[in-house]
Amino acid sequence: MTQQTFKSAGRRYWRAFVPLMAIYMLIVLGGSYYLKIIDPEPRWLQVALGVATALPLLGFFAVMLRYFAETDEYHRQIHLKGFAYGAAITISAVTVVGSLQMFDAIGYVELFWFNPMFFITYGLSTYALGGRQCL
Amino acid sequence: MKNTIKLLRTERGWSQATLADQLGVSRQSVNAVETGKYDPSLPLAFAIARLFERSIEEIFDDQENIAQAAE
Repeated sequence: MTQQTFKSAGRRYWRAFVPLMAIYMLIVLGGSYYLKIIDPEPRWLQVALGVATALPLLGFFAVMLRYFAETDEYHRQIHLKGFAYGAAITISAVTVVGSLQMFDAIGYVELFWFNPMFFITYGLSTYALGGRQCL
Repeated sequence: MKNTIKLLRTERGWSQATLADQLGVSRQSVNAVETGKYDPSLPLAFAIARLFERSIEEIFDDQENIAQAAE
């Protein structure tokens, strides 16, 4: 793998990431807005929009896996560690919140926010491990 | 792991980017290996040794690790 290939791995990652993020935001924000303005909210549309958010998310993971495969070994190590820390923090948080709910210590919590939490903790961990140039 | 990559590189008047280009890795990788923040894989260590026409043992000093493992 050459330096050029390594650089293009990053470019390919961002080229795929940006449109996937746009699709995700469109489904989440556009879907929420549309469901607010129509009355009654059709059940099938609620389900379809909910499930549709998984598609760009799966795309994110596919793009990340491709980046891990294409980048050089140092960046791969940093990103995999960041990914592991992000997953560990998020799974721990989900577990704690789930347990608190099970014991009736807290009320309803929007599970939706654990998705951005993972990506934020993954990004911050990667930054902490490798600096800005590893993002 | 301590190593002599920076010395060998500067002897040849190469920048980290030049070395990275020849090894097919990023400049950040070269910097991380040089400063001992990251231990390279065996294939990369062989590539470094081949490029500088030295043996791996001449470039990388793992005595510290061996001493730690023996304790």
